[in-house]
Amino acid sequence: MSEAQLPLPQPDALTESFWQACRRGILEVQSCSACGHDFLPPGPCCPRCWSTGLSARAVSGRGRVFSFVVYRRTYHPGMPAPYVVALIELDEGPRLISNVVGCAPEEVAIDMPVQVRFEAAGEFSLPRFAPAAVDGGDA
Amino acid sequence: MSRRAVIVGVGHTDFGKLEGRTAWHLETEAAAAALSDAGLGPSDVDGLITDPGPAQGILDGITPHFLRLGAQLGLDPDYAGSELLGGAGSVAIVERAALAVEAGLCDVCLCVYGDSPLSTPGSFQYGRGDEAAFGFFGAVGLHALAAQRHVHRYGTTAEHLGEVAVAARAHASRTPHAQKRQPISMDDYLASELLVEPLRRLDCCLVSDGAAAVLVTTEERARDLAQPGIRMLGHAQAHSLSTYASPGHFDALPAARSGPKALGRAGLTPADVDVALLYDCFTIVVLLQLEDYGFCKKGESGPFVEGGRIGPGGSLPVNPSGGLLAEGYGSGMLHVIEAVRQLRGEAGERQLPDAEVALVSGHGLGMNTHATLVLGS
Repeated sequence: MSEAQLPLPQPDALTESFWQACRRGILEVQSCSACGHDFLPPGPCCPRCWSTGLSARAVSGRGRVFSFVVYRRTYHPGMPAPYVVALIELDEGPRLISNVVGCAPEEVAIDMPVQVRFEAAGEFSLPRFAPAAVDGGDA
Repeated sequence: MSRRAVIVGVGHTDFGKLEGRTAWHLETEAAAAALSDAGLGPSDVDGLITDPGPAQGILDGITPHFLRLGAQLGLDPDYAGSELLGGAGSVAIVERAALAVEAGLCDVCLCVYGDSPLSTPGSFQYGRGDEAAFGFFGAVGLHALAAQRHVHRYGTTAEHLGEVAVAARAHASRTPHAQKRQPISMDDYLASELLVEPLRRLDCCLVSDGAAAVLVTTEERARDLAQPGIRMLGHAQAHSLSTYASPGHFDALPAARSGPKALGRAGLTPADVDVALLYDCFTIVVLLQLEDYGFCKKGESGPFVEGGRIGPGGSLPVNPSGGLLAEGYGSGMLHVIEAVRQLRGEAGERQLPDAEVALVSGHGLGMNTHATLVLGS
């Protein structure tokens, strides 16, 4: 993939720390100090109780494929088809859009266990996901 | 004196690639057609609500859409505004017009949708925001996530999705103004290019230049007009704004909430619906709505549509004018208009016998918004 041509993340005051953590190889969620809810994407308050007492929390990077699609047509020259876009549900609960890499598109399945894998894209480090060990152990 | 809201005028332009005309040309043409249909003139209009399509957007610089259209139509209405609810917008503005008329804010409310994406270069762009970095582009990718869930949970097949696409074209073959009138076979569907698996090109709605307008007034005012008033028996909205965080986001639509509310207000059940005008940006959305509106059980929409049940002559005709998949992309406004035509009995070759109750839906954005209207003759 020629990442330089791809649209890159556009960090703002809410998401800057998420992308900074990715550069350090850490996947962070936001965690509410009032009710304990973990969530993504980062926001100005807890979407469950509206508390503004929030902190970033590093998570395992383990999750499962909640759903996925295979782009068979190339829509952007920087992202040639085929590739997999998936909605990943982290073990800690939050969901995020990402890619499944490290296997053929035909091998991806709903509920497949995955583990985060950081890949460089321009100045960013993108949290993509690869199939996890079947026993659920750390990658 | 009944201030109950009724629809008394409908009108639209051609749909397709309409070169050399801006969305404003199209919207004013549709507005004039709706007025003419009702037998009313510009001086009768005292309400204006608009649903600007995605290519033109709600703002032209800092000028909101309703203001520019209102200026072009020379209107100084008592009530005005624009909505931005994506594909739920047109159904939602007709609902809002009904609320405004029934509250006495205005007497004759003009509702207009319009857009010209095919004649406005560059109007559809790559996805924005952080998800574009993962190659997550377009509404098709998002709806493919929902389709994949349905395949996984219920064993829904390509042929089930294909039934929806084939039915839409079969309907449109009897719609003179439809953009795609040639029927397709299941083989045509299965040979259609996979865009974002599991969705193919023929799972996707058309892109169209065009505009459509509906006129809402009171039952009392309608007595003197050219057309019988089509009654709004019930209406409701429901939304899923938390998107990925919402547990059922890709498995059910907010229609599961707005449907029973709208039908309940009308004192009706899904079994009373003679014709369903279901927002069909993608075939999977029709399947989900058949379940979430209660036309069939959850997970059973695939087998439900087998054998042409939603096609011409089927037991539940869906989108007899062809819908977004074949008639043209008119947000939900063409769906409202087809419901009105069926209930008036003026749908020509595609007229359904004894159509007395129509359910119309709008669905929009990232599967976030939903609006339901129940109309009756």
